[in-house]
This record gives sequence, C-alpha cells and structure tokens, in this order.
Amino acid sequence: MNAQGLEIIVGEGTCGIAAGSKEVMEAFSEAIPGANIRSVSCLGMCHMEVITEIKDAKGDSYTYGNVDKKTVAKIVKYHTEGGDFPEENVISRPDDLENENSKYIKGQTRIALRNVGELDPTSLEQSKARDGYKAISMILSSGMSQDDVINEVKISGIRGRGGAGAPASMKWTFAKNAPGAQKYLILNGDEGDPGAFMDRSLLEGDPHNVIEGMLIAAYAIGATKGYAYIRAEYPLALKNFQTAMDDAMEANLLGDNILGSDMSFHIKIKEGAGAFVCGEETALMASIEGERGMPNLRPPYPAIKGLFGMPTNVNNVETLSNIPWIINNGGPAYSAYGTDDSKGTKVFALAGAIKRGGLVEVPMGTTIRQVLYDIGGGSSSKYPIKAVQLGGPSGGVIPAELFDTPIEYAAINATGAIMGSGGMIVMDEKTCMVDLAKFFMEFNHLESCGKCTFCRIGTLRIQEILSRITDGKGTMEDIDTLDVLSRQVMTSSLCALGGTAPNPVLTTLKYFKDEYLAHIKDQRCPAAVCKSLISHVVIQADCTGCSLCDAACPTDAITGQKKVVGSYSIDMDKCINCSMCVEVCKPDCILVE
Amino acid sequence: MANESLEAVVEPQLVQSWIDQIGGDQSATVPLLQAVQNQYGYLPRKAMDLIIENTEVSGRQLYGVATFYAQFRMKPVGRHLIKVCHGTACHVTGADRLNTSLRFQLNIHDDDQDTASTGSYTLQDVACVGCCSQAPLMVIDDQLFGNINGAAAQKSLRKHARQVGEELVKPEKQLK
Repeated sequence: MNAQGLEIIVGEGTCGIAAGSKEVMEAFSEAIPGANIRSVSCLGMCHMEVITEIKDAKGDSYTYGNVDKKTVAKIVKYHTEGGDFPEENVISRPDDLENENSKYIKGQTRIALRNVGELDPTSLEQSKARDGYKAISMILSSGMSQDDVINEVKISGIRGRGGAGAPASMKWTFAKNAPGAQKYLILNGDEGDPGAFMDRSLLEGDPHNVIEGMLIAAYAIGATKGYAYIRAEYPLALKNFQTAMDDAMEANLLGDNILGSDMSFHIKIKEGAGAFVCGEETALMASIEGERGMPNLRPPYPAIKGLFGMPTNVNNVETLSNIPWIINNGGPAYSAYGTDDSKGTKVFALAGAIKRGGLVEVPMGTTIRQVLYDIGGGSSSKYPIKAVQLGGPSGGVIPAELFDTPIEYAAINATGAIMGSGGMIVMDEKTCMVDLAKFFMEFNHLESCGKCTFCRIGTLRIQEILSRITDGKGTMEDIDTLDVLSRQVMTSSLCALGGTAPNPVLTTLKYFKDEYLAHIKDQRCPAAVCKSLISHVVIQADCTGCSLCDAACPTDAITGQKKVVGSYSIDMDKCINCSMCVEVCKPDCILVE
Repeated sequence: MANESLEAVVEPQLVQSWIDQIGGDQSATVPLLQAVQNQYGYLPRKAMDLIIENTEVSGRQLYGVATFYAQFRMKPVGRHLIKVCHGTACHVTGADRLNTSLRFQLNIHDDDQDTASTGSYTLQDVACVGCCSQAPLMVIDDQLFGNINGAAAQKSLRKHARQVGEELVKPEKQLK
C-alpha cells in the first residue's frame, strides 16, 4: 500500500460532527496508520457531510462528500492501490470536471466565507497564510486615518448583514464622531433566527477573520474595548473564538499597543443566554449590562449613548467578516458585486426541502430561483417547491411565482418579506402555510420581551386565532381580524421584533389565502399537516401485517393480527395523528389526508 | 415527587469561586447564572441565595434575569439532557414527531412533566442549534443526532442509554 504523502482533511464544523466526522477520522486512521490527518471547519456544504479532502503526493486535491466508514475504504483503496474511482462521492477533482455536486460551490462568490472550510480555524499561522491580519497591519503601519478606513467601507457600500441593513460606514461615522471617554465595539453573534447559521459557521470556521474585522471597526471608531456576544447554543463557535483570541493576544494582534502601534483593543466574550430579542442592539447592550434583555427607545442611538452610557457600535458577524477583504481589495472591488441598491455578497443558510442545503454566498442581485435551483438543485422531495421563507420570524414567505425576484434589500422588501440575516427555508407542498404562520407567531410571542402591550398580547391573540383556524374552527371574520391586529402590532411596538413579528402572517395571507380558506370553509388542511383536520387510514390492500405500526403507536390506536396480511386498522377515536406509524410502515400503506 | 433526588447539593465554596472569578457587580448577573447552570444543570435555590448574599446583585435583579432568558431553568434536570431543536427547518421537517416519540419512549405523559420518572433523561425544546441542513435533529448531552425521524430518535436514545448505562423503562401506551 502506498499511502506516502497522502494528506487527509476532514470537515469538522458542528454539522460535520453531527454527521459523524469523528467516526470518519477514526476510519481513516485505522485504514492508514500514521496518516497525515487534520480537521478543518465546515465548507458549508451541509447536505454532503461528512466532507473529506484528499491531497495526494503530487499535490492534486480531491474532495469527497457523504463520506462514511464504507466510503472511507473505497477512497483509501483508490488513492493507495488504485481501484474504482468513488464517482458518486466526488465534489471536486483535479481535472476540474464539472459534476452535479460541484455546482454548489462553483455557483457561489465567497468573500465572507472565503476561508471557511479551507483552514484550521484554530491556527493563526494558517489564517495569516491566507491574508489574516494583513488589513489591520497595513492600516496601522501605513498611517491610514480613521476617516480613510470609514471612507473605504463607504465606497464598498456594505450594509449591515444582521437584518436591518443600515450602511456600516454610517454607523461607524456616528460612533467615531460621538464624544466619549470610552467607546465600545460589540460583535453581534446572537444569531437568533431559527433557520440561520452563517454566523455560527463564520465564528467556528474563521474566527481570526472576525477578530480582524472587529479590530478594523474598533480602529475606525476609536474603541479600545469590545464585546463578542455569542449564543451559548454554539459551543464550538465559542471555543474556536476563545482560542483565536488567546492566540491573537499572544501574537500582539490584540491587547495593548497592537503591533507596536498606539492602538489598544481588548475583547471580552459574553455568552448569549437565549433570547431572540437580544439581536436588537439596545436589548443586547442591556443584556451585557446584566439586565433583562429589553430594548430601549432610540434615540439616543447606541452610537451616542450605548453600552454603560458610552458611544457604542454594534456590528453583525457577517458584516465584520467582509471588512478585512474590503480593506485588502478596496471598496470598489466589493461594490463591483451586487446591484445599485445592494452591494457585495450575502450569505444564505439554505435548508428545508432542498436537495443541496448549507451555506451559500452569492452576489446581491442573484435571483431566488438561481439560488434554489442552480445552486440548491431544487426540491429534495417528490413534491415541487412552493415557497421560501426569508428573514426568519421577522420575515415572510415568497411564493414560487416570485422566484425571479433579485436578492436585494428593496426588491425583497417589496414582496413583504425581509432580507433579515439570511435564513432561507425551502418549503414543498407538504408544508402548511397556516401552520407555518402559527409556528412563527408562537416563537415571536415567546420571544417578545413584554415591554410593549401590542407585541406582548397582540402576538398571543394572533396565535390564538391561527390555532383556531388550524383546528378547523376559524371563521371568515378571523381573516379580517388577523389583518387588522397584525398592522396594530407592527405600528405599536418599540423595536423591530414587534415591528416585524406579524410579517409571516401577512405574507402567508397575501400569497396563500386559499390555504386559510380551505381550513376555514372546508375544514381541510391541503398539506395534510394540521392534526385536527387530518386522519390516518391503513390501505389494507397494501398492508403486509408486519405490526411495526402497532409497536410505534403511542396510544394503542392500532390493532391487527401479526403476520396476517391486511389485518391492521386504526381506531380514529384513539388516534392522535402523530404519524409515528407512517414513519415505520415499510409498504407505505398508511394514508394521511 | 419522583424528581426530588435530582436536587443538587450546592457547595458554597464553589459558588464563591465563581463570584471571585467573574465579579459581583450587576454586569456579572448573566455569567454567574451561567456558571451555576453549567455546574448543576439548573439554578438551585441555595446557589441563588448565596449569590444574593455575596454580591451586589439583588434578588429582584437575579430572579428577573433568570426568568427572562430561555437558557435558565429553575427545576432540577435529569442525569442526561435531550434538546430537541425546534428551528424553522426542524419544524417543517417534523420536529414535533421527535417529541412525541421521545416522550413515548421515556414514558413522559403529563404536559408539564419534562423528565423521566427514573430521572434518566430530561426533554427540552430549544429554539435552534444552527444545524439546519441536518433537520430535524436532537442533541443528547453534547452529541448531535441529525436527519432523524421519530423512530430513529428512539433508536438513538436507546443506543445512548446503553452507552451511558441508563435503564429505559418499557414504554406504556396511553389513552388519547
């Protein structure tokens, strides 16, 4: 066996670990004892995890996906003694031959994600080899002024990637010009949108780049203290960020007199404790101060009176991840991507009923259809895609007929959805839009901090109405009430949580009113999701009498005689419509309607 | 109460060591609570009392903050924690079925009960763990199980129980 010079690189982001990267690492070490195996962060091709790159002695690189113990054997055989090429697992190969899997990466323009999955996130050396800390070193050694830095960012046109979309340069200018003895820079890594994970990936996969982005922002506004507010739900992100911070301290890239200059900057990590509203900057600052995370009225803006009453600038992880690239390559290079309204690129977290899901970074102006079909490969099920949900609980659904909408702030807002932080959940015909609206309203109600009455109680009332409709007890009057109440919540709430909370209701009402009507008028859930409106029936002609359904049923609703074909049936009075039987039924003979 | 045995024994020195390390001013509130919860899996009354006595943080402040954030829990927790993700992707791919099947497997039947009567596992819904492409998923202790359905969740749980030496009681079927 010739394993000489073989380098094996396994993707070990949270998704990779979940898909079994540890087992794959072990399988490689067993197959090639003493092999050169190392792990990198996640490439963002979550649908192909575990991902492994093999570099052979010639320096040729092969990337494989869906690697498990069995494929490890095949891959090792091919690279050591020759054998069948593991064709179906290939993502990229040295001859650059295009295949279905490679379209996912090739369709992207990776700026924020440029290093994610390419380097060991805990290695400062590897970061430096890919231009890590080059921008801040240049700024400090060349005497670039604060205004020069802000101006470059202004030329780039980058807008805040956390959701609100305020131009980054504008926020920096305010914070820089505000008088104050102490200024703060806060990294907002409280990625609360249940369906977005780009910040996790950036923090896990390229923490040095995020730190450099913070350094540049801190220099621009004149902050000497910073906080990295990262969700406690992201343990690997917290760990990698802490390691990166320690290494940067050691290398004098953080701390006092950075690289021998006058600049000093200290970062403290604050773990978010699980509150969606803390993504709002005034709530986030209250949380750092040790308070309940409740938003405050603006003005005064944080730039004037922020953390501990001092001028403060809060930037999202993705925003700051772009900054070093912008300084290195110049503002015009960044603004060359995108549209008049929205410059640069945006990372989306593609998930749900999509064939190739994961993180996708594309230039602004790319259409939703291109993301879903050219990169994502279309529906993962036998049903067509009917909508995407953009912007999470504050966003809205965009129906298939609007998939040619370009991804830019204004065009997305015109549909009723919002860009948000970039969660893009794909839904096929098996998703009930009324149930989805209810899901988001439950979330928004739970996450409402309770300060404003309309947000606190209005979201609950909306949720109650939606529950009534999904129970088949809704009335036509409810639809009007939903519309009126939604607008009241939006206009009577202090912060963006309440201000956008009813978006999922308004957009589903706008584009999928027929589904509401089916629930109300016909007591029917077209997607067969709402439990009060569906029933489970065994198609006895197809039943093999395997009894698995009976074993899975939590309520004793299923009876029949083992091994007697066609003998099983479901007692509707006992059935709770949980669909556990459907999951285990081999001949697929339980009908849900 | 079958869960009484899960009450943690709080060591005052340990709590004091966190206060020494993190500080005792108001901005230490959340990190202190996190330290307590990391150690005990919930916020024992005794630990809360110690913080109130030995820091600048008042009882109003401490409980106000503890009850605001989803991370904190006031009830004792089972020996192992199962977090079922209820992010958007998990919701549309059937996260509810994980709850149904796990509750069945663990014989947790009352709506306000979240821990198996043997104290083995606690079932907790979480907002999103950020692994949306593996939806639906659950996390048992630190181990992630992705792309699972209800049946696979039960299987993974049984495997986990074998690994950590927890005995699972045979599931009882319930009336509707």
